[in-house]
Amino acid sequence: MLKKIKQNKYKGLLIGILIIIIYYWAIKGTNTSPVNFVKGLPFMYDFISRMFPPDFSKLGLFLLKAIETLQMAIVGSTIGALIALPLSFLAARNIMHNKFIYHITRTFFDICRGINEIVWGLIFVSMVGLGPFPGVLALAAHVTGALGRYFSEAIESVNPETIRAIISTGANKLQVIIRGIIPEVKPSFINYSLYYLENNFRAATVLGLVGAGGIGMELLTSMKLFKNQEVLTILIIMVLMVLLIDRFSAFIRKKVLKLEKIE
Amino acid sequence: MINIENLNHHYKNKSQEVLKNINLHIRKGENVVLIGSSGCGKTTLLRSINRLIEPVSGSIHINGENILKMPIKKVVRIRGKIGMIFQNFNLIERDSVLKNTLNGRLRHHSSLNTLFGRFSTQDYEIAKQSLKRVGLEDYENERINNLSGGQKQRVAIARTLSQNPDIILADEPVSSLDPKLMREILELLNNICLEKEITLVTSLHFLELAKKYSSRIIGMRQL
Repeated sequence: MLKKIKQNKYKGLLIGILIIIIYYWAIKGTNTSPVNFVKGLPFMYDFISRMFPPDFSKLGLFLLKAIETLQMAIVGSTIGALIALPLSFLAARNIMHNKFIYHITRTFFDICRGINEIVWGLIFVSMVGLGPFPGVLALAAHVTGALGRYFSEAIESVNPETIRAIISTGANKLQVIIRGIIPEVKPSFINYSLYYLENNFRAATVLGLVGAGGIGMELLTSMKLFKNQEVLTILIIMVLMVLLIDRFSAFIRKKVLKLEKIE
Repeated sequence: MINIENLNHHYKNKSQEVLKNINLHIRKGENVVLIGSSGCGKTTLLRSINRLIEPVSGSIHINGENILKMPIKKVVRIRGKIGMIFQNFNLIERDSVLKNTLNGRLRHHSSLNTLFGRFSTQDYEIAKQSLKRVGLEDYENERINNLSGGQKQRVAIARTLSQNPDIILADEPVSSLDPKLMREILELLNNICLEKEITLVTSLHFLELAKKYSSRIIGMRQL
């Protein structure tokens, strides 16, 4: 007993030392320094102060571009979710017993998800040219991988007893999925999809930097020309849009999922 | 009705047998209770009858047909006539009482109709009658997660009744209920099976309940 306690103590100490080494290595490698951060604060103050007051002279154009970014996010997220939804059943171990199909689908999701939206953006810009369309494709590609993985994990977490209950009624495999699994995973599917809609609006902004349309392109132009007051206007629009999407998501969640309040 | 011969089963990665040389004959309309401690194989035996579990060897004849030798398509059809009630109800918590009850009618529909949630007027009629029989006719639009344990088990019974079954397998149907509800649910289940001449096979922990609510008790012990 005493030996075991001693062994556990050494084990804990060893894990502690290992964690410290990993953090030291990561901090050293990234030149993370609180001193440099504090030294940089006056420059940050200078940069921010040059943003004021915001320049609203191009507000109309920026709003149009923000709407274009939102459109990219909506179409990209929807395409991604629609592809991910059926494929996720092929990547769920409790549904797909064919290991080959399971691994192929998982690998497909990993590739889609592993490549960043910007890299997808560069690929699709070279394929279909500049503008919002390559942005839509880039978002759809990444979302397919991300949602596919989350969806399949949600399917795998369904209580197998609930599935057995539907099987025991004489339902076929497709009916088991429709009546036993989908109602159980619907909240997770909606939550993840809404989260990715919000996430894709931010991602779509960054995609503009590689020529995939939207407000990101305007942001890049204003930054390059040191028009900091325009930059602030764009940032205000972006924050407001994110807030708007967040409110919209909350509304949908409330309506669709019929959330109950905890008294 | 149910004829089990030389049934053996052990789970993968476990050498110990769960069922060893089980021989059992259950007549039509009989009310049999399996009794025994946890882990003695009651659930395994019940789930072998509708082939939710594939036993290692032996045979289970239902109305003269060996369910263990049937192609899976035929098993699915046979399952439609064997209702099953579970210890933890196993309902779709976010769906309504009526939707859960309608799940008992799935075998009468194509996948396409199921996809669009299309059920016939007759299905609705049967589901509503089943709910009425278990005393939940006023709860059809209530969500399952708003119900008590006893009400949930009544919904599970209604789902089974909607199947219009010849056999009901009840796997510890009252284990998660309080003593008063235990008797209520067993009473209800017994009465329904008597009325409709349904063969009932129940697994229970308590001898006193088994004596009161069965026509035959079969004792099982851990191997």
